[in-house]
Amino acid sequence: MNRRLLRWMPAAVVPAVIAAGVAVGSLPASAVDPLPAKSPEQVLALVAEHKVDALSGTVQQNSSLGLPELPQTGPSAASAQTSWLELLSGPHTARVYKDGPTKMRIQILDPMAERDVVRNGRELWWYSSKDQSAVHITLPELSATRLPGHEPLETPVKPGFPDSSSMPTPAELTDKLLAKLDPSTDISVGPDVQVAGRTAYNLVLTPRSQQTLVGSVSIAVDGENGLPLSLQVMARGQAEPAFSLAYTSLSLGAPDSALFEFSPPSGTTVKELQPPPRPLGAYPGRDVLPGRDGMPGSDGHSGGFTDVGRPQVTGSGWETIVGFRVGGDALDAEGLLAREPLLQEAMVSVPGGKVLSTSLLNVLFTDDGRIFVGAVPVEMLQSAATPR
Amino acid sequence: MLAALAAIPILIAVAVRLSSAVPPGRGPAFLDRITQNGLFVGVTGMLVSIPLFLPLTVGVVAGDTVAGEAGLGTLRYLLVAPAGRVKLLLVKYAGALVFCIVAPLVIALTGAAIGAALFPVGRVTLLSGDTIAPAEAVLRLILIAAYIAVSLLGLSAIGLFMSTLTDVPVGAMAATVVLSVVSQVLDALPQLEWLHPWLFSHYWLGFSELLRQPIGWDSFASNAWLQAGYVAVFGALAYSRFVTKDILS
Repeated sequence: MNRRLLRWMPAAVVPAVIAAGVAVGSLPASAVDPLPAKSPEQVLALVAEHKVDALSGTVQQNSSLGLPELPQTGPSAASAQTSWLELLSGPHTARVYKDGPTKMRIQILDPMAERDVVRNGRELWWYSSKDQSAVHITLPELSATRLPGHEPLETPVKPGFPDSSSMPTPAELTDKLLAKLDPSTDISVGPDVQVAGRTAYNLVLTPRSQQTLVGSVSIAVDGENGLPLSLQVMARGQAEPAFSLAYTSLSLGAPDSALFEFSPPSGTTVKELQPPPRPLGAYPGRDVLPGRDGMPGSDGHSGGFTDVGRPQVTGSGWETIVGFRVGGDALDAEGLLAREPLLQEAMVSVPGGKVLSTSLLNVLFTDDGRIFVGAVPVEMLQSAATPR
Repeated sequence: MLAALAAIPILIAVAVRLSSAVPPGRGPAFLDRITQNGLFVGVTGMLVSIPLFLPLTVGVVAGDTVAGEAGLGTLRYLLVAPAGRVKLLLVKYAGALVFCIVAPLVIALTGAAIGAALFPVGRVTLLSGDTIAPAEAVLRLILIAAYIAVSLLGLSAIGLFMSTLTDVPVGAMAATVVLSVVSQVLDALPQLEWLHPWLFSHYWLGFSELLRQPIGWDSFASNAWLQAGYVAVFGALAYSRFVTKDILS
């Protein structure tokens, strides 16, 4: 009998050993050298003067905005109709390669598909493997230092930020966020965190306003070189982060230069675009509404946009509400809703219009064709919409 | 069984050849690329067969290992020879392993061959939009086949264990195949997200990493560790069960 029990030992020991191994492996790496204490200003300065411009890394983005999650399984890739909405819901992984200010490649890794943004000097390429299409823009000399906007993604982070690039590197996002800091925000430095295996300062921004939906924003800043490594936005009354963007792996140093040389493969539909007269993404909320192929301006948006009135901004700081009237045939609320059936389902009717509600951002589409966007409760949007 | 697997890419290639052009973005990924480059038949074949056909055949092979001999009444004669039960189990598992390695290779190479015969072959476009030479593409096909072979190891270990539980081979086969389907269904439920990294089918479709430029190895490594864990656990279970089992047939 004992012999029999003994022979069942491996069946018990092996799972136990594996469980122990997993438990040990998942413990946070303790006893790393703590970073020297720094004040929030010093951490901000560290960010401002960081000089990392060659890197390759993997970025993981997670959203929990309270939008319906779209199933993403199965061997076939998601349909193009849902492409921009699915960027807002569910997790995404992207690989980022950067070498100097003018060479950059972002690969958004989809199941069995990939979307690429490649910039090499003045050449800017957008490639989608799903429908094998590419867009090519030759940038003018002037904007050679800045990458114009491409994908809606992070707009819900906070209205009032001119968001630009798709799957932005944490560095880009944080720079913008810090530039917007004003007395409305309480800044502190939390305990050190570990991001992508690096020890980082944790800069925590808490809105002083009680009205905004944003609970806090935390930014991990690499203790060695000041590179922002992660961004996390907490919504009020929600335990998990509403939005997070973080490097899961990062290596400094110039990536293979062949990565930045892109030419469309044969069989690709290539669309030549003129560079926009002004930087895209100048208005918050604009980037949320690209054409169905996911390219702002690709179906006449940038042309039709000029006759739309300037946005009307009310409130300040975290309570900023941006309202604009949509006009012309290029973009109107009804047309937009008709194009995006999923969006339509996520809308809730309220007095005076319809509301798209997320845990960080509310969007009010009024019946008379205006759109109000703000990180505030719906009631504040409604009162902003009422003419005074 | 290998012939049945080889028939999958042939069917795909012939069907695509006879039908009109597949619009991009419809059907399984890569299907629309076949007309441009025949080498994609191999990829499409593997992509189509990983959810059901491959687990089915692996379940049949692994479920048959021990239970098949028991069902035929030959198991006790095998054990009369002074080889020992452990050795028999190892040999049987090695047989299942060889099948796991050969099956995806057969699909990949048959697919590449039939694709080359029916469609033009040229530089292969990766998911990232970069192109590689056909020779390198064949190398990547073999890499994908290797990835799938690794992916099936865990399932074959489960099949081996199931096979030691019963004397009815069909029961072991069915149980193994059902488990692979259950695992995939669980993997599709977003409510069970915490469980997903532990399901043996979780990385089955992760071979798309190998079709990007540069190749991502993360999914390959995680998959290998996961499958190794399954092989260890179910290998140990199968050992314990088999050495303590009363062999009656």
